[in-house]
Amino acid sequence: MKKISLHSNLMVVALSVTTFFLLSTLISVALLGRAEAADIEAGRQKAQVCVSCHGAGGNSEIPDFPALAGQTAQAITTALYQFREGNRKNAVMSPFAANLSNADMNNLAAYFASEKRLTPTHVSSAEALAQGPDMAKKYNCVQCHGPLLLGQQHIPRVASQQHAYLLAQLKGFKAMTRADMDGNMSSAASVLNEKEIEILADYIAGLNR
Amino acid sequence: MHFRRSVLALSLMSSVLALSHLSAHAQKPGDPPPAWKQGMSAESESSALHPFNPIFTGTEAKDLQIAKLKVPAGFKVEVYADGVPEARSMTQTENGTLIVSNRLAKNVYAIVDNNGKREVKTILRGMSAPNGIAVIKGNLYVAERDRILRFDNIEKNLDNMPGGKVVVDGIDPTNGPGHFWKYLVAGPDGKLYFNIGSPQNITSPNQMQAAIFRADPDSGQLERVATGVRNSVGMAFHPVTHKLYFTEHGRDWLGDDVPNDELNVLNKEGESFGFPFCHQGDIADPVYGKYNTCAQSTPPILKLGAHVAPLGLRFYTGKMFPAEYKNNMFIARHGSWNRNTKQGYDVMRVVLDGKGKVVKYEPFLTGFLTDEKADPPMWGRPVDVQVIADGSMLVSDDYNGVIYRISYSKDAKIAKLN
Repeated sequence: MKKISLHSNLMVVALSVTTFFLLSTLISVALLGRAEAADIEAGRQKAQVCVSCHGAGGNSEIPDFPALAGQTAQAITTALYQFREGNRKNAVMSPFAANLSNADMNNLAAYFASEKRLTPTHVSSAEALAQGPDMAKKYNCVQCHGPLLLGQQHIPRVASQQHAYLLAQLKGFKAMTRADMDGNMSSAASVLNEKEIEILADYIAGLNR
Repeated sequence: MHFRRSVLALSLMSSVLALSHLSAHAQKPGDPPPAWKQGMSAESESSALHPFNPIFTGTEAKDLQIAKLKVPAGFKVEVYADGVPEARSMTQTENGTLIVSNRLAKNVYAIVDNNGKREVKTILRGMSAPNGIAVIKGNLYVAERDRILRFDNIEKNLDNMPGGKVVVDGIDPTNGPGHFWKYLVAGPDGKLYFNIGSPQNITSPNQMQAAIFRADPDSGQLERVATGVRNSVGMAFHPVTHKLYFTEHGRDWLGDDVPNDELNVLNKEGESFGFPFCHQGDIADPVYGKYNTCAQSTPPILKLGAHVAPLGLRFYTGKMFPAEYKNNMFIARHGSWNRNTKQGYDVMRVVLDGKGKVVKYEPFLTGFLTDEKADPPMWGRPVDVQVIADGSMLVSDDYNGVIYRISYSKDAKIAKLN
């Protein structure tokens, strides 16, 4: 939340990306012109605002903003719903979610889920590479997020997620300030100490390089 | 009372022993496992089973696989309302307005008739796990995770709900993860009945946990009417005997086929239903079973299946269904996550004889479960059952945010037979 001013500046920079995106979207819609592609295409249209922070195609380049490319659709609708209804609160995100209908959310989710997550910029430390894999098993990350931490259904893909975002979420779950499903993540994070949270976030953010 | 005290003493002892037992699989010395993993055996440590979650943004009626649903001959199932996020508990005002609640979606909804069109109206916002709802004398009671609130004269105030008045608070003993949501039902005595679940999968509960309580809606006074109930998220009073029937979720991680979830009936106030010592009436818990035998608790009247997650139950008191359905019980089985091959995801019919003995347990609404080995295995999950004024039956589905209506017509049955 302290990055609001940074966000506004980057928004200006990102406008050129958005313009490019808008054009390519219009072209692809014209070329495809298929009714059954409506979900993803409608999502792509609606996503023009999102990509200014979350990056082109949802490949965020800003540490505090999560990548959405290749995220599971249900994890995205869950997050959007929670921002709209107030389960999750964020000064930047909440106002954007406030005006989205359920159909908008489903379309946005279908679009971002269909995009490919590019190679992350984060490079894991040697310590994280050495300890991360065992820690992800020991602390039950892989039980729900999957062996490669790519997520499934409502359980988000965390592999190659933005490092700062991962850190903030894990700390939030541990502090029980981050909205959760029946407290499962808070429960999992409750036993992690600060150092372990750092190692896990460092390791997970650098996956798939 | 003396008996209960000795049980509590034993529970304390057993929790100390349980901690030392669990430390064999613990992550760091002294670290408790996460709530969902608690009580997991060494063999199931590598399990990849995971909970399911509702699609909060819902599924539109046109996108549902409704043709897959099956009901007995003569019955018909259709969508009654969509766009009801995480539709779970249902209740009705005296005028028949349907109120729908949920566990995670924070809002409470009313489904009203707007010039012949059904409309989903948000009547309360920003609630904390408002799963329990009941109506007494025109007032709506909502059980949040830590308190019960009263909203006066709701039928007249659907568009502008008054502030809630606290009836009971302090009913979230842990303020942590695990079974914090409540089911609420109005008793024939005009009082409120609700559960407080076990804070974990298998643990020694304190006096405010793993129990069913009665609250006086006027004074807020609490009485514990049943103990040893791991978590009950479905209760109903028999229309003739006025006895309290309730579903109960069994513990996880004892295997795919045990223990069974339970259908219980309360015959004597204060009786214990076994948790954490005894499961399904005849299986001693591997840890806690040493401290109390199954003979010391009341067994279920029906084993509902292992990990089927039974939720809402209702007695059929309408006039639309054939006579044989009168006072039958219907149980929504939300479906398992803690089982390698999935089962449940249906509504079951239970027939009791004149003495309250179960004589039939059979499927009534099926078809949500499409592939027991797939992930997810289902496209919908029944939560609660409600009989409405015309005698038809509503079933809520939190996965899709949808309510279905099941109706009966003799003509439809004849047509089908021909």
